[in-house]
Amino acid sequence: MKLACFVEAYNFKDKSERKALSKFKSTAESMGHTFDFIFKEDISRVAEYNALFIRATTDPSNSAYVASRLAEQSGLKVIDDPHSIRTCSNKAILHDLFLKNNIPSPKSLLFTGDFSSVSLDNIFETLGTPVVIKTPYTRFSSHVEKADGIQEFISISKKLLRKSKVLVVQEYVMSDFDWRVGILRNEIIYLCKYCIPDGGWKVKSKINGKNVWGDTIAVPRESISPELKEICINLSKCVGDGLYGLDVKETSGGYRVIEINDNPSIYEGYEDAIDRDIYEKIINALVS
Amino acid sequence: MIIVSEDEDDSDSSPLFFLGQPVRDSVLNVNHDYRYLRMGYYVSAHAETFGVEVTPDCTEIMDAYRNPLLIEKARRNGLPTNGYRLVTRPNENLTIPAMLFAVNPFTNNSMKVVKSGSRLPGIIKKMSFDARFPVSLHPVTGEVKEIIQMFGESTSDETSDFARKFYEIFNIPICKLIVQIDDGKVILNHCEPAMEKEVKWDIVHDKLHEIRQKI
Ligand SMILES: Nc1ncnc2c1ncn2[C@@H]1O[C@H](COP(=O)(O)OP(=O)(O)O)[C@@H](O)[C@H]1O
Ligand SMILES: [Mg+2]
Repeated sequence: MKLACFVEAYNFKDKSERKALSKFKSTAESMGHTFDFIFKEDISRVAEYNALFIRATTDPSNSAYVASRLAEQSGLKVIDDPHSIRTCSNKAILHDLFLKNNIPSPKSLLFTGDFSSVSLDNIFETLGTPVVIKTPYTRFSSHVEKADGIQEFISISKKLLRKSKVLVVQEYVMSDFDWRVGILRNEIIYLCKYCIPDGGWKVKSKINGKNVWGDTIAVPRESISPELKEICINLSKCVGDGLYGLDVKETSGGYRVIEINDNPSIYEGYEDAIDRDIYEKIINALVS
Repeated sequence: MIIVSEDEDDSDSSPLFFLGQPVRDSVLNVNHDYRYLRMGYYVSAHAETFGVEVTPDCTEIMDAYRNPLLIEKARRNGLPTNGYRLVTRPNENLTIPAMLFAVNPFTNNSMKVVKSGSRLPGIIKKMSFDARFPVSLHPVTGEVKEIIQMFGESTSDETSDFARKFYEIFNIPICKLIVQIDDGKVILNHCEPAMEKEVKWDIVHDKLHEIRQKI
């Protein structure tokens, strides 16, 4: 089969991402398929292929969405499909999805700028202190902030409301790491711990003015607890049958799902460090 | 079915109120702006997440508002277009006059008609944010016109058939359409949010009244 992989120049900057991409290519070729990297100028030729795998950052407003939808309309198998992109790229939509499907997750509210004291009191009474504030489109922790009280909440949310009509406000859930659960076709294909760096509270934290990423520790996928597995597969089924990376915190009161991502990071030596067959599994999903 | 709209007289719920509630009925989402990350989009997304039918749904919104998707869907459904090309950099074989539309997250009202080949490179560079996003390029063969489409009605008589077909295919209650009239034939080029003041709200009101009678 003819496989296309939609990428942008930045996907080749990091050495381990570049290596992962060439591993996808060599795996596909060793299975008897062709595997071409295509770029945004090539989007309108996507119908020439049998399947499309998107590695460029996805978002409904990016080129990747156009590629995904054109491919879907032409009958290609697509990872990430348009519906998954629209759902997972937006935290306000995930807020709804979690509510509708009773997904265990941090208590969460939508905030659209009602600064009355009734509304502000309600936020802190419902969620406790501190609260986490996010724009719907944040990625790589870019627009996720923490407020320790009403004054800080007002100043952060005023700043973020300039960029988005809707914000998501959540109860703060402490943990030393996020479970990253890799799912394909509603099966677990890898498991990692994304650690929170010392002195920070997010996987990518600003510490003394510098961005620091926490370590990634791969863990055998069979070792996943039955409870975590069930929560993750229930959630992925609510979105679709594509490739997802779920972020989940483990607390004394049980698991709390932070988000489900389409287009999860796959870097050589990180997500693939233990379960090394993920390349093959993904190519298989594309050609089936 | 419930109608969600900013207009108090015509609606069962405002977008803001609607977003805070669970949804049980199917939804007609009436808005002049369905752009991603705006209220018009969130109303449809909220309805969809709760598993009810909504007009327009998010697929329809994105199909109409992203230029390559618009042209592709029009082509598949037999609505005339002049085709499109995606470019990020100027190259030799681009013909003028041409019409350019941004395919990036930031730009609205982006239409540029370019008649001089020497201006093309500068405009492509700017619109593509220096080759970061594609630009959709269409040939210009007729007279360029902007119309407002409201439930299949048009603000101009010569495009009334076209507006009706557009609505049947795209299911977008209100939008601005950029078209060309070439030898009496109407050609689709672009769809974007209408400005509130451009919409003939009395037409919208009559249409909603008709729709309510049928429920
Ligand atoms: N409610 C929360 N409580 C504590 N930490 C959170 C909460 N929500 C997000 N985080 C942390 O912030 C980081 C980014 O959050 P996330 O919601 O995944 O946004 P992004 O898509 O930008 O990565 C992650 O490391 C996550 O663990
Ligand atoms: Mg995350």
